[in-house]
Amino acid sequence: MRDQKPSDLRRLAAKIRLHATKMVAIQGFGYLGQALSSAEILAALFGGGFIRAGRDRFVLSPGHYVIAFYAVAAELGMLSPAELASYGKDGALLEAIGTERTPLVDMVCGSLGQGLSGAIGFALASHLAGEDRETFVFLSDGEMEEGQVWEAAMFASRHRHRMGRLVAVIDANNSQVDGPVTSVATIEPLADKWRSFGWRVLDVDGHDVEALSGAYASRSADSEPLVVIARTDIFGRMRSIPPAVDGHFIKLDSALQRAMTSELEAALA
Amino acid sequence: MREPPYKTVLKPYGQSLLALARERPEVLCLGADLTRQTETDIFRDAIPERFINAGMAEANMIGIAAGLARAGHTVFVNTFGVFCTRRCYDQIAMAVAYPNLNVKIVGFMPGLSSPGGPSHQAIEDVALMRALPNMTVVDPADALEITQAVVAIADHPGPVYMRLKRGEIPAIFDDGHRFELHKAQILMGREQSDVCIIAAGMMIPTALAAARTLEDHGVKTTVINAPVIKPLDTATIVAAARNSRFVVTAENHTVLGGLGSAVAEAIAEAGVAARLHRVGIKDVFAESGSREFLFSRYGLGIQDIVAAAWHGLSIHRPVPVAPAPEIIPGAYSPV
Repeated sequence: MRDQKPSDLRRLAAKIRLHATKMVAIQGFGYLGQALSSAEILAALFGGGFIRAGRDRFVLSPGHYVIAFYAVAAELGMLSPAELASYGKDGALLEAIGTERTPLVDMVCGSLGQGLSGAIGFALASHLAGEDRETFVFLSDGEMEEGQVWEAAMFASRHRHRMGRLVAVIDANNSQVDGPVTSVATIEPLADKWRSFGWRVLDVDGHDVEALSGAYASRSADSEPLVVIARTDIFGRMRSIPPAVDGHFIKLDSALQRAMTSELEAALA
Repeated sequence: MREPPYKTVLKPYGQSLLALARERPEVLCLGADLTRQTETDIFRDAIPERFINAGMAEANMIGIAAGLARAGHTVFVNTFGVFCTRRCYDQIAMAVAYPNLNVKIVGFMPGLSSPGGPSHQAIEDVALMRALPNMTVVDPADALEITQAVVAIADHPGPVYMRLKRGEIPAIFDDGHRFELHKAQILMGREQSDVCIIAAGMMIPTALAAARTLEDHGVKTTVINAPVIKPLDTATIVAAARNSRFVVTAENHTVLGGLGSAVAEAIAEAGVAARLHRVGIKDVFAESGSREFLFSRYGLGIQDIVAAAWHGLSIHRPVPVAPAPEIIPGAYSPV
């Protein structure tokens, strides 16, 4: 991966959104909000050079976000634009929810709340093998409702000396199927929860590539595992999306697609 | 029975559950962050005080349902079939099935009816639930059957797992159709037949279409609807198998542990020497895709049943080509 400037990372985030908009337009509905909210998180992680290709591992816990991963992978030359155009089609390699067929990612879970456990497995394996391989795991705030996340969280802090470096980043977009996460469960105070489970917590603006890069860069080998809580907006703060749209599963008609495309292209101009 | 193309009914489960709850104050509705997707937005909007959203926390939801049931409630638990079986199996076994509680677990998007890939496709839910003592397992085929099944499972004093296609549901049966928890129904057939097709749920229209093709080509065919997979109506099924040269089961599920296995056990234990072919998912995880694509690719089509019967009967003419499957309307999304 390349090590890019903040302005480059912001452009990368806009390109992720643009790719995702095109991909969701194929079916006219899909997991577009997930890409809009996580664009800077992934831009900073992959574009910022934190994940060393062929060495570090990346776990995508909520498989519904795989569209954003495909988009960043294409921008970094790991997937062809033609492959992106097949997203979600019958028989396509790039499925709408990540599966075992999903390319490039080390682990992806379509069933939520399971990724942190797998990431801990990778981190334990790095240590057992004596290898310098870091593990990055992407989580979403909605899946914090699954108990397994907290089983994993308390394990990781207890066993950190047996694990290679582990960094979790949470897309805290306050969005799940039934509405805002805060309307379904008592998720806050999220930072205090993770802290009380033995993690070092950084709570940042998830659309600020410099804040995200700084947070990722602050990881260290000999402290608690790091969790970055990235506060985001399910629409990626895009002004062209009406507030009444269901952010978890956006229905993208041609008018909305045009409006979003012009806003993103203006940002890239 | 009605003739295809079948008319569809929108959200018969959601409507029926609300009607039931209006009559029975002990009925509660639990969900796990899939309210509209499990048609329970209808219940939530009408009787919010008896609707509980447990969030994405299925194990906890089952435990809560068990406590509510011990306190006298009839609890309907609703989420996708994958999440209310795989994610919370121990909780269902110990908190619900073992104490034989009045919890009705309703799992949506059975088998390959979800485009969401293996994480969202409940291909072994029947096998899991069937293995639990005290558990009744239901796979209804049409809108009327769903409506009747909601009342029947509420009346049954114990745990039930019901798998349901969501949204637009075909109306296959006439108004006189009766769903009963201990009955399979002969939908078409005669005293002696060449082949007996036993199916349930979404495979019923497919089984009927296959039967019409076979009959058109001179194969005497019986079709049995077995909406209750446990307890299986072995009397009806064994009698039909005894009077047929070949038996085909058809299920939107892995061939291991579901309807096909239940039928195999029943006819083997009855000493019936009928030969059997199970149409279903062949012990593999599937992939994402439209329902038509998946049913075709994973061998759940009309042609698969026709071919199974044809080969099973050792007919040496070419296999007749079945008509293209009917596309039932309604857009399917993974959530």
